Amino acid sequence: MSDLLRGNFKVKNKVELKEEEVDANDEYRKKALNSIGGSMVFVERNKLLWDEDSELDE
Amino acid sequence: MSDFKDIRVNSKFEKLVSEITSIGLSWHAKTILENSIINKKFINKTIRDIPNPIGKKAQSAIVISAGPSLHKNNMLQRIKDLGFEGTVIAVDGAYARCIKAGIIPDYVLTLDPHPTRMVRWFGDPNLEKNLEGDSYYSRQDLDVTLRDNSNKENKKTIALINKYGKGNKLVICSSAPKNIVERAKDIGFDSYWWAPLVDNPEEPDSLTRKMIKETKLPAMNTGGTVGTAAWVFALTVLKIKKIAVVGMDLGYYADDTSYLQTQTYNSLSKEVGEDSIHDYFPEYVYPITGERFFIDPTYFWYRSNMLDLISSSQSLVYNCTGGGTLIGKGVECLEIEDFLKRLNYGEI
Repeated sequence: MSDLLRGNFKVKNKVELKEEEVDANDEYRKKALNSIGGSMVFVERNKLLWDEDSELDE
Repeated sequence: MSDFKDIRVNSKFEKLVSEITSIGLSWHAKTILENSIINKKFINKTIRDIPNPIGKKAQSAIVISAGPSLHKNNMLQRIKDLGFEGTVIAVDGAYARCIKAGIIPDYVLTLDPHPTRMVRWFGDPNLEKNLEGDSYYSRQDLDVTLRDNSNKENKKTIALINKYGKGNKLVICSSAPKNIVERAKDIGFDSYWWAPLVDNPEEPDSLTRKMIKETKLPAMNTGGTVGTAAWVFALTVLKIKKIAVVGMDLGYYADDTSYLQTQTYNSLSKEVGEDSIHDYFPEYVYPITGERFFIDPTYFWYRSNMLDLISSSQSLVYNCTGGGTLIGKGVECLEIEDFLKRLNYGEI
């Protein structure tokens, strides 16, 4: 807006995006990102195996 | 995370890859925990109960993933012709093809919690319903005949696996969806359960810890994908050190695959727009053959995960895929015939 109306105009009322619009955009993006995220959670990069029974633990 | 040095990517690609871990966590955490809770009543045996392999089965393994090279490089026929006597582990997506090629895997692994897409690997009794509104597979099938005859092929798969699957060992993740659990029961698989090791179970809020608490299962790392999970299984549960992987492309053949045929095209084009889409499919030349591949952010993430786990394990993976992007520290690329020759000569 400021690029088009440079220098001599200031918006009187502050434009704020409604929370529902932000949430809807966020949801749309999240859905779009779904398949990009693969199909399984993966965070742990060091442990390969974990067994509380300690028979297999590695 | 593994560095980006060997596949040239731009900052936008890097940024998206860096988000994938948290995307996966926010999308799949609830499902894999819920599925684990639902499945605990079916748990009879776990990976603790798998007998230790003996003889040649203990000496080496081939992990069969389901990338395009499996067909292009005629891998299954080559493995059959070699008369390999070690352990054969197939991922779910390669299982039916193994059976058709006359290879009965010692183990088949399944992991993915998707409620409709995975059961097709074992023959889907509700294929038409599960395909409704979902072009995920039809988009990717290069063979028009296969696309148009998915029903016919599905019926063949059901019949094939019903005939040969009984008693085969299924290594099934607690995250598996209901239809996989039901199909496994119908087939008569000998099922061994495990939980996915997704985060550090020593942390108090660990998702892995929650699943272990519910199921009392041992947890195995997956690297985010069933092929990596199958390798982890061979290494840490069967305790086999000499492991070859085939079909582990972690990328797409550039010469005959369009972006539209990739698994992530739809999501990527919505996220980044068509004009920028090319930035998200960087190319890579497989140095041994000079063939060109491209990779998307998701496969790049899988590749990084696999390389990190190989590094953590301090082991060596023999990549006999014959193409793709799995090259790096801890990976030796060679043809499957050479792997077996060197194994027989005691050079591996």
